[in-house]
Amino acid sequence: MLTHDAKHLEYAGLLREAKNLGDFKHDKTIKLALLGDVATQHLAMMIRALLAKHKIRAEIYEGDYGAAELEVLNTGSEFFKFGPDIIVILQSTHANRDRYYASPRSETFAEESVLRVEAVWEAIHQNSKALIIQGNVALPYERLFGQYDQHVPGSLSSCMMDFNQRLSSAARVAKNVRILDSEYLASYVGRKEWFDEKMWAVAKTLCAPKYLPLVAQSIVDITLSQEGRGVKCLILDLDNTLWGGVIGDDGVEGIVLGHGHPEGEAFQMFQRFLRALKNRGIVLTVCSKNDQETALKPFREHPEMVLKEEDIAVFVANWENKVDNIRYIREVLNLGFDSMLFLDDSSFERNLVRERLPGVIVPELPEDPVDFIKFLSELNLFETASFSEEDTHRADMYREEAARTSLQQEFSSIDEYLVSLKMHARAARFDEFHLPRITQLMLRSNQFNLTTRRYSQEACAEFMRDQMYHPFYATLSDKFGDYGLIGLAILEHKGERAVIDEWLMSCRVLSRGVEELMLNHAVATARAWGCAELIGEYIPTPKNAMVKEFYPKFGFELVSDTAGTTIWKLPLRDYQPAGVFIKIV
Amino acid sequence: MDREAIKEKLQTIFRVVFDDNTIELSDAMTAEDVEEWDSLNHINLIVAVEKEFGIRFTTREVYAANTVGEFVDMLEACLRRQGKIT
Repeated sequence: MLTHDAKHLEYAGLLREAKNLGDFKHDKTIKLALLGDVATQHLAMMIRALLAKHKIRAEIYEGDYGAAELEVLNTGSEFFKFGPDIIVILQSTHANRDRYYASPRSETFAEESVLRVEAVWEAIHQNSKALIIQGNVALPYERLFGQYDQHVPGSLSSCMMDFNQRLSSAARVAKNVRILDSEYLASYVGRKEWFDEKMWAVAKTLCAPKYLPLVAQSIVDITLSQEGRGVKCLILDLDNTLWGGVIGDDGVEGIVLGHGHPEGEAFQMFQRFLRALKNRGIVLTVCSKNDQETALKPFREHPEMVLKEEDIAVFVANWENKVDNIRYIREVLNLGFDSMLFLDDSSFERNLVRERLPGVIVPELPEDPVDFIKFLSELNLFETASFSEEDTHRADMYREEAARTSLQQEFSSIDEYLVSLKMHARAARFDEFHLPRITQLMLRSNQFNLTTRRYSQEACAEFMRDQMYHPFYATLSDKFGDYGLIGLAILEHKGERAVIDEWLMSCRVLSRGVEELMLNHAVATARAWGCAELIGEYIPTPKNAMVKEFYPKFGFELVSDTAGTTIWKLPLRDYQPAGVFIKIV
Repeated sequence: MDREAIKEKLQTIFRVVFDDNTIELSDAMTAEDVEEWDSLNHINLIVAVEKEFGIRFTTREVYAANTVGEFVDMLEACLRRQGKIT
């Protein structure tokens, strides 16, 4: 499984990585044997480099060229002494073609070839518990009868196709055998590109060297799935990922989905792909920046939606950052981050999740939705080690389990999120216009209220006119709206000291940086007065325990504690203004 | 691109493939003179040269040259044959 894109699957680069591996920190060592009728040195190096990315060290045994049968039939061979965990058996088109031409009866070529392969499996099983990764053959390009090859059972292409089919059937019933689907790789890149006759002639490489990394990656994918690594859960964005447009702006009628729009059909096809994944046991979840009700509307009302509400195990739509929401999803489903795949059209969100939750698999997404499935297919994200009846119900089980889990969410403050809010704030001295709102806040605030002095409108007006005082308020707005006046403080000039007589805030805007902004404003005022320190006071009430530790959090030192009423001081000389993500207007 | 320019570009490729920045190509040089020049790395060299010069050697050419000088001559001929230089 590739976690980002396929760019690093590059021949020379991977070989260089392998050469420079040295000792690296690994969680596990896997012994892998490579057998087959092809050269394996380059593949071995690439497998080492690719497994290292997953903190797995590979010890690799390379069998002699074309000697797989000899090695497995000799119980005392170096091969069995090595004690492999995984045995890879590669099948080249070239060697099979040679055998085909040498075969006296082409009609039985496929059957006999697969019997020989099964005999090798059997010999291995008698002496080893290793997993066998059995390569199939890339179909050759030459046709002896043109398209009529398909009508002739003994034609080269019919025989190779038959061989692959029989191999798959045998692997389905065999213990511990997995198919390495070389034919898929060859047809994905195209036979004309895949085969490099010169490189076969001079070096017996399975395919053009350029594509050997794909073979190595496929072997690694099976190895990882055998280790239990793989995607169990998809986290889906909504707008421009499941449909075109923005549901909050465009409404159910306005989003692009379904027949009639070329793009709408692509989104629908993508949804079908996702639903098929769900039906094979991958849990679907939603993580969207939207109001919950708005986000659910297409699922409930849009006739062309393929995915329904009941297909989604956990549906999270809010305005919190996606990192916290993914943490929440993980908690509800009780899965590891490394089994979660995040799909989002926004590069901002992808990068944020990559940076903050390094375990989560975050592939790129193409700009054009028609390319989503093709791109994801190339990454082989959904490799699995087994499939059973139970898997078909797994996604539903998770959904029911998730429904029982409480919807309590805890969000940590995250700098990136705060920046993304594009907050604007203003701190200013009390004015006539704001007095009614100031008084209202003064009377209503209980929790974030440091002295709870509850001055009347008249008293506030007095402070406003008195130059020994600096009463000020703060306003806040962000990209979602205007919160208005949400905090106020009264500062008194007492010679060397500036005393915070009252400080209160609306709880709606806590932990967004308004506290820091107001403190910075108070410090600046005190400095302008020529004060050496800023004094704060906390008077406990039954409701304001949340700010009991407010001053020490900002570096104030305790001066006195009288029956719970505490006095704090902040020396101003060395105070550095706290950083905030709010633009001051 | 004249012979010297081809040789210079080839030298860069040699340095990358054999992971040795001190390699100075000379016409008399053979595989014996470069520590890592084994059959495996020879294939890597061919792959890299074909990619960087945008050409394709024939099977016969892969093992035809005995010295670096012969290799450069062969590369030049290949470039000319495949229309990369005139």
